[in-house]
Amino acid sequence: MKPNLVIIDGVRTPFCRAGTSLAELDAVELGRIAVSALLTRTGIDPHTVDETIFGCVGQPAHAQNIARVIALRAGLPEDKPAMTVHRNCASGMEAITTAYDKMCAGHGEVFIVGGTESMSQMPFYFSRQAVEKFGAISRAKSLPQRLGAVAQFRPDDFAPVIGLKLGLTDPVSEMNMGQTAELLARELGINRDMQDAFALRSQLRAAKAPAHSEIVPVYAHSVVTADNGIRADSSLEKLAKLAPLFDSKCGSVTAGNSSQITDGAVALLVCTEAKALKMDWQPLGRLVDYSYTGCDPKRMGLGPVRAIEALLHRTQLKLADADVIEINEAFAAQVLAVMKCLQDKVSARRCGLEEPLGEVDPAKLNRRGGAIALGHPVGATGARLVLSALLQLRELKAKSALVSLCIGGGQGGAVMLETL
Amino acid sequence: MKTQSAMILDPTQDPEQDVVRREHKTLSTPGAFQLKVDAEGIAWLTFDTLGSSVNVFNEATLHELDDYLDVLEGDPEIHALVIASAKDKVFIAGADLKSIRGMKAEQSAGIIALGQAVMSRLAALPMAKVAAIHGACVGGGYELALACDVRVASDDDSTRLGLPETQLGLLPAWGGSTRLPRLIGLMKALDVILAGKVMKAMQAKRMGLVDVVVPREHLMTSAKKLARHTEPKRNAFFMQHLWPLPKLIAMKAKRDLIAKTRGHYLAPLLALDVATRGISMSVEESLALERESMTTLMRTPETARMIDLFFAKEGASKKPWRVGHAMPITEVAVIGAGVMGAGIAQWLASKGMHVTLSDINTEAVGKGMERVRKLVEDGVKHRVLSKREARETLDRIAPAHTAVPLFRQQLVIEAATEDMGLKKKIFAGLAARCSAETILATNTSALSVAELAVGVPHPERVIGLHFFNPVHRMGLVEVITLPETLDDVTATAHGWVQSIGKTPVVVKDSPGFVVNRVLMPYLMEAVKLFEQGQSPQLIDEAMLDFGMPMGPMRLLDEIGLDVAVHVGGTLAAAFPQRMGSSELMASMVAKGWLGKKSGRGFYEHGGKLSTVNTQALAMRTAAVSPMGLVEMQARLAMKLSDEAKMCLDEGVAASSKEVDLAMILGTGYAPFRGGPLAYAEEAQAMS
Repeated sequence: MKPNLVIIDGVRTPFCRAGTSLAELDAVELGRIAVSALLTRTGIDPHTVDETIFGCVGQPAHAQNIARVIALRAGLPEDKPAMTVHRNCASGMEAITTAYDKMCAGHGEVFIVGGTESMSQMPFYFSRQAVEKFGAISRAKSLPQRLGAVAQFRPDDFAPVIGLKLGLTDPVSEMNMGQTAELLARELGINRDMQDAFALRSQLRAAKAPAHSEIVPVYAHSVVTADNGIRADSSLEKLAKLAPLFDSKCGSVTAGNSSQITDGAVALLVCTEAKALKMDWQPLGRLVDYSYTGCDPKRMGLGPVRAIEALLHRTQLKLADADVIEINEAFAAQVLAVMKCLQDKVSARRCGLEEPLGEVDPAKLNRRGGAIALGHPVGATGARLVLSALLQLRELKAKSALVSLCIGGGQGGAVMLETL
Repeated sequence: MKTQSAMILDPTQDPEQDVVRREHKTLSTPGAFQLKVDAEGIAWLTFDTLGSSVNVFNEATLHELDDYLDVLEGDPEIHALVIASAKDKVFIAGADLKSIRGMKAEQSAGIIALGQAVMSRLAALPMAKVAAIHGACVGGGYELALACDVRVASDDDSTRLGLPETQLGLLPAWGGSTRLPRLIGLMKALDVILAGKVMKAMQAKRMGLVDVVVPREHLMTSAKKLARHTEPKRNAFFMQHLWPLPKLIAMKAKRDLIAKTRGHYLAPLLALDVATRGISMSVEESLALERESMTTLMRTPETARMIDLFFAKEGASKKPWRVGHAMPITEVAVIGAGVMGAGIAQWLASKGMHVTLSDINTEAVGKGMERVRKLVEDGVKHRVLSKREARETLDRIAPAHTAVPLFRQQLVIEAATEDMGLKKKIFAGLAARCSAETILATNTSALSVAELAVGVPHPERVIGLHFFNPVHRMGLVEVITLPETLDDVTATAHGWVQSIGKTPVVVKDSPGFVVNRVLMPYLMEAVKLFEQGQSPQLIDEAMLDFGMPMGPMRLLDEIGLDVAVHVGGTLAAAFPQRMGSSELMASMVAKGWLGKKSGRGFYEHGGKLSTVNTQALAMRTAAVSPMGLVEMQARLAMKLSDEAKMCLDEGVAASSKEVDLAMILGTGYAPFRGGPLAYAEEAQAMS
């Protein structure tokens, strides 16, 4: 029989807008702080952890297999392995589902999983031609050779290639993520007002959400204890003033109705249900099942539609069975598009569903706000959504939660969680 | 027969070296050295004292080495010599101090001359001589390396090089004071000799003390290469050795030394004299000067006390506790992120412990983490920590602002403010979130550990661990035990304090323990002198002259007058006859004059140079009755000695050695005086 994956506890750093409070910390440091705090808070013996699995999209060059670096620096024993997973925006979710697969295959019982991202510290690159010229300098043996090599440089060579921009551009369709959102807005008729209204709802819900017990302070040069992207004073008027970012003439996607570019890390302690019983650990809930599906990279925002369909099929559950629903807010237009495709027959067909799956009850959706307010540190978000959904189930004393997100490159991911 | 696939299990063994041409059997009795000569004519002389983990030079081993030099001189086929050690952590730990300490004047003169003769003979051997150094290579050991032509050292952590003689009231007299300036230049040599610090291989290479640093596994291969290609070396030329520069260098160094030590320490002064005069002489003359000065030093009682102190410290920091089984400690929680808590956490983390540093809210924890960061940054600045070690230190400290479970921690150290009620509350809370075996320690400086232990489940695991401020600089930890404390707990705490590089002194739970109790009457006497109209500067001057690192008035300002009043109050309650309180100091505290931390105490601490607090002077009512420095000194010093004697008589510490050691390490009590009890004995003998 397959083991059950249960989530024992989880913590996250505050989520802070790129370039603000956490900007000086790299993805390793953020991840280390989260894992270390998880170990401290749970008090577990690090030797009981079989493996550490972390998601990170923009892995820093100085920390390849960042999960291993984080694990060692957080004080996990050297003889316990660690691996990094990458499924773009779902990397933090992938860490959990990979742990589940490993459990099912008998490779370990206790895992620390999570995701980390420093979008402040996404690297700048040099162009290929510039790199070759640098190479020539290092190969030069004599001073004249070296001077000759230096003389090859042109001002253009020093124009950096921005890693963050590259990462947010689909390499197949060559569309920026924001442009994929514009496409959905156009095709599914989601206008600016609808998007801004959704964004406002996210901000206000995040502002009203109960104090985030999952946040652990970051002791940088100042003490950072809270998310800083939330705008409690947001309003439709303010949102309406923002200019479209990706299509300056007719566009509707703005900085206000998109997810924020943010630094942060999440860490969860997961294990088999049997192990939890044995150790007398009280789980927050369990993973029922998961699903990843592919879709058109140009319409990557619709990824959740098919992923949710596949998940409901696997679990034999209905959309209405979920008491809590988290759909990541990459863009307001994209979440609204997903909702429309789940509910509306014609739109559902466009996504390849035979029948719509039903209405997403707005009361259940993203009750504590989403990435539009909290931010979207890409590698970490998947794990944050799972943690947030479980904490909401506990708050509501409810049974089951559906978590889904769209994935750059044209994929969707979904997990079903339930309390024990 | 050697097969090609033979594994080399001992990494120090060079496979080629196994081709032994012949064993020399010239020496009739097997001793501390082995000599092998390989096919290339390289002689490998290995120092391997039987039945000991260290190699030291004494009369026997020096004579044996001398005998081997006979063999080497008499064999025309040998054209190079490599000297190595077979010990795991020691090359040569220098001269056998134990035998030296007990020697009469003629005997010691004899061994100085013998050592010099052997080193000189080695230096004169007509072949390339390589010192292949792994492990401690200090004092006489490094002087042997200096007599070689080239020095290769392993980069292992156990490899330490230097000439620490001046720290023991001696000077390098087996050619060290003569050969080192000729090798690296007078100025650098003085840095090495006068500070008497030992250094790791890489720093030794930067200073020029060794020529090559390699991993331990490559030491012999590297030594062999050097043996093949090294020519016997001539002395390097140094501009700084030209007249009159050595004289000027000596004048400056002497001025610095006198300013630092007030001339209390003869050893560095003589070492300076030998080194600077020596470079203008022939080697033989310089060696004669070494001998003469060394003989002078060995006659002084200060040197004897410094050597005794060295042994006392070595014993206390290395010997396991006499009973009980010491358990390993890897995880520690420190409760309270104030100056002491953060200081302790930083020190422990830098020594490899995983530390949970907790306080009541994020603000307090944040301040603690900032303190830790500052200490680590200072460590990097002063090259005590590398950047990697700094990062690892910070990584090992996990902050906590809530009552997190501490079941995996083997030791919890409470370092909250000195308030019995608060501490009791913390201990009550701790018991619920620790395992029954977790050692619960308090870092109190004067409160009763026994009172704290009342009501704690399993009080037999409650102890006191009194660290001193600043933690990273003070080498002493008072380990306070209760009658019910388990032997295993004492042994664990004692061994753990040693493992973090501090010296434990086990004391009984008695108000003020040893250090603060002995210090307090002295400080109060100083305040009394102040009240009687003596100038605070003169009071301090008297004790600086005595050899204290800081005068009592300034020390009070450093400690904080509020803390002093508080500790004084605790002690006065216990010993009302001796530890009176000072109304003047209490009213200074009432005015907010708390010492350095508030900017004003007995001194004003505003600017770079602190001046006397004239307002405090004005608060005195007594008429000035002038008193000489010597009289003040005697009065103050006897306060320390008297209280130390009472501590000993009450059995607070087990021996007079431990009381003296605690005072020297805990307060900086003039080491050359041997401690307050040794001083009292001396004073009695004089009168």
